[in-house]
Amino acid sequence: MEATREIYWNVGYGVILPMYLFTAIAVAACAYGFYKRVEVYRQGKELNRLDNLSERIVLLAKNLFGQIRVLRVSGPGVPHALFFWGFVILFIGTLLVMAQADFSQPLFNVVILKGSFYKLYSLLLDLAGFIALLMLFGLSLRRFLVRPEGLKTTRDDYLMHILLTAILLTGFFAEGVRIAATELKNNPDLARFSPIGLFVANQFAGLDDQSLKQLHKLWWWVHFFLVMGFIVTIPFSKFRHLFTTPANYLLTDLREKGAIATINLEEEGAEHFGVDKVADLSWKDIFDADACTSCKRCQDRCPAWTTDKPLSPMKVVQQIGEAAFGNAESNLIETVSQDALWSCTTCRACQEICPANVEHVNKILDMRRNLVLMQGEFPGEEVMVAVNNIEVNGNPFGMAYAGRGDWTAGLDVQVMADGADVDILYFVGCYASFDKRNQEVARSFIKICNVAGVRVGILGKEEKCCGEPLRKLGNEYLYQMTAGENIELIKAYEVKKIVTTCPHCLNTLGRDYRDLGLDVAVEHYTVFIESLIDSGALPMEPHQFDYTYHDSCYLGRYKDITREPRNVLHAAGGRITEMKKSGYESFCCGAGGGRILAEEKLGSRINVTRVRMAQETGAPLLISNCPFCLTMFEDGIKTGDCEGELKVRDLAEIVAERIIL
Amino acid sequence: MNILVCVKQVPDMESRFKINSEGVWYDEADLAYRMNEYDEYAVEQAVRLKEQLGGEPVITVLSIGPDRVVEALKKALAMGCDRGVHVRDSHHYRKDPWQMASIIAAYAKDQGFDLIFTGMQSQDRGSAQVGVTVAELLGYACATTLVGFAFDNGVITAKRELEGGTKGVVKLRLPALVTCQLGLNIPRYPTLPNIMKAKKKEILALPVADLLKEEGLVITERMYPPAKKGGGIVLEGDVGDLADRLIGILKEKTAVLR
Repeated sequence: MEATREIYWNVGYGVILPMYLFTAIAVAACAYGFYKRVEVYRQGKELNRLDNLSERIVLLAKNLFGQIRVLRVSGPGVPHALFFWGFVILFIGTLLVMAQADFSQPLFNVVILKGSFYKLYSLLLDLAGFIALLMLFGLSLRRFLVRPEGLKTTRDDYLMHILLTAILLTGFFAEGVRIAATELKNNPDLARFSPIGLFVANQFAGLDDQSLKQLHKLWWWVHFFLVMGFIVTIPFSKFRHLFTTPANYLLTDLREKGAIATINLEEEGAEHFGVDKVADLSWKDIFDADACTSCKRCQDRCPAWTTDKPLSPMKVVQQIGEAAFGNAESNLIETVSQDALWSCTTCRACQEICPANVEHVNKILDMRRNLVLMQGEFPGEEVMVAVNNIEVNGNPFGMAYAGRGDWTAGLDVQVMADGADVDILYFVGCYASFDKRNQEVARSFIKICNVAGVRVGILGKEEKCCGEPLRKLGNEYLYQMTAGENIELIKAYEVKKIVTTCPHCLNTLGRDYRDLGLDVAVEHYTVFIESLIDSGALPMEPHQFDYTYHDSCYLGRYKDITREPRNVLHAAGGRITEMKKSGYESFCCGAGGGRILAEEKLGSRINVTRVRMAQETGAPLLISNCPFCLTMFEDGIKTGDCEGELKVRDLAEIVAERIIL
Repeated sequence: MNILVCVKQVPDMESRFKINSEGVWYDEADLAYRMNEYDEYAVEQAVRLKEQLGGEPVITVLSIGPDRVVEALKKALAMGCDRGVHVRDSHHYRKDPWQMASIIAAYAKDQGFDLIFTGMQSQDRGSAQVGVTVAELLGYACATTLVGFAFDNGVITAKRELEGGTKGVVKLRLPALVTCQLGLNIPRYPTLPNIMKAKKKEILALPVADLLKEEGLVITERMYPPAKKGGGIVLEGDVGDLADRLIGILKEKTAVLR
């Protein structure tokens, strides 16, 4: 007997009309629900996120079907992905039934679901349904019984879990009673290809034909209406993430990581800057709130949240959504709170991990822009002083700008203004220029360059703060003024390559300055040193040492540079013990986002938290690659009582001690 | 109400000062300039008063000096002053406080100012005479070193800082001049729209010769940094290295090892 089954068995072809009618109504209701939401998104400003469509479609397909971003956190990620794949298989299976029963068979007399293919189909769908059910059960346990801290559970979660479980169960019930009434008797071999259906069928085997048929009809319709209910509730519940989250893969920000919109300050008539109302946001910012699934992965990784500060990136995104769908005229900054906005270190841990591709950081920056540019607000008076210092002397310390190059005394460095002929321009940055501890790093870097025969130039007293802290604090005006002066100089000296020892300078010069007209290759010294070692220009005598390494946010997450510094340290004789949080999961030192200029008044100290993580590795040495991190860790080792157990040093210092002169 | 604020642009005090070729003032090379700190309090207080009075008062901000002082005027305009007056003078440092006060008084006498705010003193010359002398020349009531300011019904209630932290409270009727001290307020950070608006505000340029008819009463004879005395040296670094350097210093500068 051929392996197939009669579609619409028992329920009859008569169901087709009502079935399609109800389906059409459900789909229409779903579409209407999304239409109403699109109206809300449209309150935001225009933004083109459909350019390079083919690239976007690939991103969508990879992330949706591969569940790549979801799987980054395996605990809940694996069950979600398995459930998703199960559900997709069931969906395709249903489409095949539709294609055959309502199109190919009646129109062309073609039957797809037969023979070996049908056997495979039966087995695959049964297993898919079973795995989906199992995963859903596991996820329900996690959500309702052993709920992790911070996981918000709402009405939507109950609805989703109950509805999905019911859909899967009724599907198996309908299948089971069908098998009990048919295959169990007339084709038991085939029934074995539906193991779950067979199991259910066996439970009903004692019933007579009539009862089975009645039960089948009942389950069939219940299953059908549950599915209709599911379709209708998609836009009105968290089910909407079935569409909005994948859509957010399509709508990815394709610019370089960390790109921030450069405001046109010369624009005639511009009188409002930054974001304080929903209408100031882009539509994508509102859409992000709909793509968010409250998985709280961002919150778990937020250095501010983890140290008891009033910032949860998830909450910020959702507050924007609530305002957009509720009171769009409300003041967003008041809703989110200044304390929350100023707590952000722009470390990007939230954005990097978000399975829904939500863009948290720029929303916060946009609100900060409003605070600074429209209200003259800062996180504290000390920050206003530092900002004024940058305006007057080009550095946040308020040191005389004329002394910016003094650290080079006795070193082989040229100053560009003296007509230097150099291989690289070393953009020193404020900390390496003025901060005693970081001057050691600058000197080490120069020593390395000297040995490798690289001719180094600096801007000296002409150099100004790159403007990064200003920009991250929201002071776009002063950022552009300061950046403009640096750019003019760098262009005038016809610099071919810039190297920085500061990842903040690296990001700003290499990416942000491009919007202002500078297009020069900018490299971080860790990468530069690695290339010197690889080319044999830097002879080193490795001495063995044990260390742990801190990936600074602006090198690791922002620039994807995690391997090169480790290679250099390995070549120097280092044996690494990684911290629990490293690479893309690294934990901020607390200084990003302009926080280096601010006192940390709320919660516990981020730098101490990070220093303790380093201490836990047992390594006596913490190696950093960023002047902000070095400063924060020197301080954290003292305030965190780790003196004597842990020392912090910069990568350049380690290398400089091992080069052969 | 008609308000005048007098501001001076001074070098940032962290700058490296060198004496100029005339030997009577500092050399302007490699200096970063900003608004005199005390004058920022004066501007802030004037703008707060304007806000208190519903925006009715007109605030004029005046500065004497070379072209660079326009930056200080722009800052004051961005903070909320309405119009600027730039008394152009490239030899400002040659003038004594009496002449400075005479310039301001000559400008102010026909303008009908009800209230004048100045800083307590400038950070560079620090004479603390200009404000009070202007008040005297104009016949205005005057209170100095304000750390508190209230205005009600034409009467100023001013809190003054006295020696040793003691405070005094005085009341003045308009017209009056007050000089402002640290602690009076926290100057605002100008908002971007106000910076933009400030660019379009009028700055009247007047040659100093039109206003100055007085001879100086005090002539600067000479300016010089204190003679360098052998200060302490703090050695930092590796212990072994430190010992070597110490021996070197002892050999070089003392007779103990000879």
